[in-house]
Amino acid sequence: MISRVFARIFLVLFGVGLIAGCTSQSKPYRYLVVFSQCNNSEPYRAAQNAAMQKLWEEQPDVRLVVMDAQQDSVRQIAQIETAIRMKPQLLIVAPNERAPLTEVMKQAMEAHIPVLCLERDIVEPYYTSWIRVDNRAIGRIIGQYVLDYLTKKYGEPRGNIVEIAGLKGVEGETNRKLGAHDIWDAYPKIKTVTEAVANWSQSLAKDRMTEILSAVPQIDVVYGRNDPMAMGAYLAAREQGRDKEMIFVGIDGLAGEAGGVRKVQEGLLAATCIYPLCVDKAVEIGTKILRDPTFDPDKVYTISSELVTSANAATVYK
Amino acid sequence: MLECRNIQKHYGGVAALKGVNWKLLPGEVHALCGENGAGKSTLARILCGITAPDDGEILLEGHAVNWPGPQAARQAGLGIILQELDLFAHLSIAENLAIGNARLEDGAWVSPSALNDAAHPLLRSVGLELDPTLLLERLSVSQWQLVAIARVLGLDAKIIFMDEPTSALTDDAVERLFGLIRQLKERGVAIVYVSHKMNEIFRICDRVSVMRDGEMIATATCAATSIDQVIQQMVGRVIATTRREKLSGTGQTLLEAHEISTRKLRQVSFTLSRGEILGVAGLVGSGRSEVGRVLFGISPITDGTITLEGNLYEPYDPHDAVAQGIALVPEDRQKEGLIPGMSIRQNTTLASLPKYSRSSWISRAEEVAASTEALADCRTKFADQELPIRSLSGGNQQKVLIGKWLLTHPKICFFDDPTRGIDIGAKDDIYRLLAELAGKGLGIIWVSSELPELLANAHRILVLHEGRCLGILDAATATQEDIMRLATGHHAARS
Amino acid sequence: MIDKFWNQLKHHGQPFIGLVLILILGTLLSPRATDGTIVFLSPGNLTDVLLQQTEIGIIALAMTFVIIGAGIDLSVGSVLAFSACVSALMMMVWNPHGPTMLQIGVAISASLLGGALIGALNGLVITRIRLQPFVMTLAMMIGVRGFTKWLTGNVNVDLGFGAIPSGQFAELFSSKAFAISLWFILAIVAHLLLTRTVYGRYLRAIGENERAAAYTGLPVRGVRLAAYIGCGTLAALAGLIHAARSHQGNPNDGVGYELDAIAAVVIGGTALAGGRGSIVGTVTGTLVLGLLTNVLRLHMVDSNLELMIKAVIIIAAVWLQRRSTGVHGDL
Repeated sequence: MISRVFARIFLVLFGVGLIAGCTSQSKPYRYLVVFSQCNNSEPYRAAQNAAMQKLWEEQPDVRLVVMDAQQDSVRQIAQIETAIRMKPQLLIVAPNERAPLTEVMKQAMEAHIPVLCLERDIVEPYYTSWIRVDNRAIGRIIGQYVLDYLTKKYGEPRGNIVEIAGLKGVEGETNRKLGAHDIWDAYPKIKTVTEAVANWSQSLAKDRMTEILSAVPQIDVVYGRNDPMAMGAYLAAREQGRDKEMIFVGIDGLAGEAGGVRKVQEGLLAATCIYPLCVDKAVEIGTKILRDPTFDPDKVYTISSELVTSANAATVYK
Repeated sequence: MLECRNIQKHYGGVAALKGVNWKLLPGEVHALCGENGAGKSTLARILCGITAPDDGEILLEGHAVNWPGPQAARQAGLGIILQELDLFAHLSIAENLAIGNARLEDGAWVSPSALNDAAHPLLRSVGLELDPTLLLERLSVSQWQLVAIARVLGLDAKIIFMDEPTSALTDDAVERLFGLIRQLKERGVAIVYVSHKMNEIFRICDRVSVMRDGEMIATATCAATSIDQVIQQMVGRVIATTRREKLSGTGQTLLEAHEISTRKLRQVSFTLSRGEILGVAGLVGSGRSEVGRVLFGISPITDGTITLEGNLYEPYDPHDAVAQGIALVPEDRQKEGLIPGMSIRQNTTLASLPKYSRSSWISRAEEVAASTEALADCRTKFADQELPIRSLSGGNQQKVLIGKWLLTHPKICFFDDPTRGIDIGAKDDIYRLLAELAGKGLGIIWVSSELPELLANAHRILVLHEGRCLGILDAATATQEDIMRLATGHHAARS
Repeated sequence: MIDKFWNQLKHHGQPFIGLVLILILGTLLSPRATDGTIVFLSPGNLTDVLLQQTEIGIIALAMTFVIIGAGIDLSVGSVLAFSACVSALMMMVWNPHGPTMLQIGVAISASLLGGALIGALNGLVITRIRLQPFVMTLAMMIGVRGFTKWLTGNVNVDLGFGAIPSGQFAELFSSKAFAISLWFILAIVAHLLLTRTVYGRYLRAIGENERAAAYTGLPVRGVRLAAYIGCGTLAALAGLIHAARSHQGNPNDGVGYELDAIAAVVIGGTALAGGRGSIVGTVTGTLVLGLLTNVLRLHMVDSNLELMIKAVIIIAAVWLQRRSTGVHGDL
């Protein structure tokens, strides 16, 4: 029976530990803002989180809670369901995938919670506002850059392109691809030799690129749909000593040492397109929703972007 | 040589030993008798250091000893052969023989050839002609027992406790054991012989001590007392051991086995009639249990036919056999008969469950009624049907198993050593029960190693030797020697 | 009557204690919503937890049977994904004009049938060829996952929204009322099956001592096979609910669900060795896991810490149960 006693003591200690481990909620606040992030481990999203924290902190009567769904749609659904129970004054969601998250955001709207859909979208417009970047336009910017580069290299528009794609089914992925092809499809000699899926991850991109390098002899351009993936491809090529044969372009252009702009400065990436975090706008609209009851937000807010190459990298870098 | 004073032991609230005083003289063969639960096994375990007494003292050659565990006792020269053989199924014979043997365990490296070499002489002395590299799980229960005996022999003990050593042995192996005991006695080894079997005790032992309900009742030299007296002391009442009255009149032929061959059997033929008890005798490994396995659909027939009530009988598996009216009460209650975690009621009704249910839904009332009836028919002693079956004594567990099969209303019932390890009172009950079953028209096949038992209760006795049937004797006129002769391979002297 | 109740509590005591403890802890630690209500106890939150646990709960019911029969089924997570994808494919991709209600019915039946067949394959190989359950179902876990990925081309298959049949299907199957009721009805049926029928009794006997059960003439192979078929079918059913809830067939979903189901079963008092166990325990175990996750999520505890705490709970639960012995609860 001694183990029974031990077990009881253990449980009590566990309970105490649980209490101690949980943050206290004694700080008074007036507004609760919940941000459901789909995946903290992507650098782009980590930057979003950092920006969110910094901006909302400027308003001391607002409590910000960030939830990480670890790229699992089912988990994100459950997290948003929990968030709804907390009755926040504002819910910001970066949805992991289009279809799965649609239903639960509708439930949030039905619970009279204002919902901001951040950067990615869902199937039906169950949100107050969608803050987006025109991914197709970005695709076209990159497409144009690549076209100009290939024309300069060969004297005519031709070349082999390897595309590294992000999570299929996400609007960003689809449109970034479409935008680039809007430009290239007019030139039959510009060919996409292969497209590998690396789910926005640098390590997966490196693995995929290693496989591709053994299969494809002649590569001119690697189009990674975000900077980490472009970097992963670069590292794979460098390992095989082929990095000088081709250029690497990405999208995101994040600030800081690890960001795409720096990489362009250092010459590892040829070009990137700044993909705005959208957080500034989200906080701006969000604050208005919280504080101004008469404010009627637009359904969609589009934020513009900018191409970064070695020419302007130094000035853009933050 | 060995003495104990005022040994006491409690298990939970039950007193297993109540102040036992006892002495063992050097070089003697001393029997310990008592019914199940009398305390003999408990005393033996305490004296061998396996269990610690709650009170009292043990003296070895005049000095008080206090063993922290069985290892210490073993080093002091005490060996024990337990009733529930503590051998390891997944190890080989040689490895089992070596366990606990300090000589062979010397040094970290154990060579298989050294083990096998050491195993041969031990196996020979108990009469087991087997390859020492065989895994124990391939052996039969009787062979396990011989290996356990061989192991103790390898330990060079000065005092050996044997707890029911012959319960799974046939007469042939018993003789060899007695020879061994005599040899050990000549070397000055003292032997404590814990047993139920009066005949054996009075043949081989010098003195006999009787225990009852945790107390030492009496000690006497075998010459100065008699079987009846000992039994009376054990039981506290007088029991007749004469041959019982057999119900006469066997009916029509129920089962006919014609030249059956399996992996173990060779062209065995016999018939079984309604109301008849057919005993099966033979040495260890002669194929007695195999007959049951064939009937029950476990061992496949390679040649020959069986007809049941005139129709060809080819059971596909036990399920099939049961459906056709065959029942098997197996040799090993624990492993093959009971579901230990289930209640008495649940065990009793397990074979006949569909009868108390409608489209799988069990009717509790019907089930309880059937189980109560079966338990009463078998005269099972129990406190509450809902208690786990583990709470019953061996004898009562056996009765539950028999009751289980009765509820299926079988035509033929095969009993494999049903009275093994059961005390005299319960044995009596089972003999009576089997006779009643025969009286109701069932055909009964009864395997046993106790020849007097078969002679007293069966109508005819089938004797097997190495898979062949050497004869079917009429129990009324046959003697133990007749059976033994056939069992060892010698054909009958008379025609 | 009261005696019987206390008896039940003693037999199934441990998991209940855990459940009560979690409920108390959850209430005490619960955050307050902005309007002051106790979030943890709000009916919305509690039904959320039930809905979130429905898939695991349904799988755990069937897993209880398999484990009591001294087996195990590791393939259920893959079967869930398989079923979700097959139904999504049948509704959306192989039906260019969008499915009719009848076709949805066909899709549902096909998924369930598929699950049953996978279960049957598991059961047949395990009982006839005598492959170890762990090994066989592990192989199926890998194989079915690969098959599902191949079927979908490793792409998620989205379901439709709104009034069209596939949207209706998604609405119905993911609704709290439907899913939770389905789970509890299945739980009641499973409980009765286990405790009151011949099948249930046979299963427990076989799980505890297969040799003795065979020697008693019980249909050992048939009983085991049925348990595996049940497991496959219920995993497929969970897959349908999963497809409805996430509005897509995702061939990479369901990973690790088999371990969650086994954890629920084990916390509920069923021994992995077989022979003993109860549905009541399994449901309790499922609730304990779900509520625990909920408490942790309400406090934004890091998901990785969540997993570690789950591990501690599992160890504690099994440890506490080692002491309890007793007769197979028959009610």
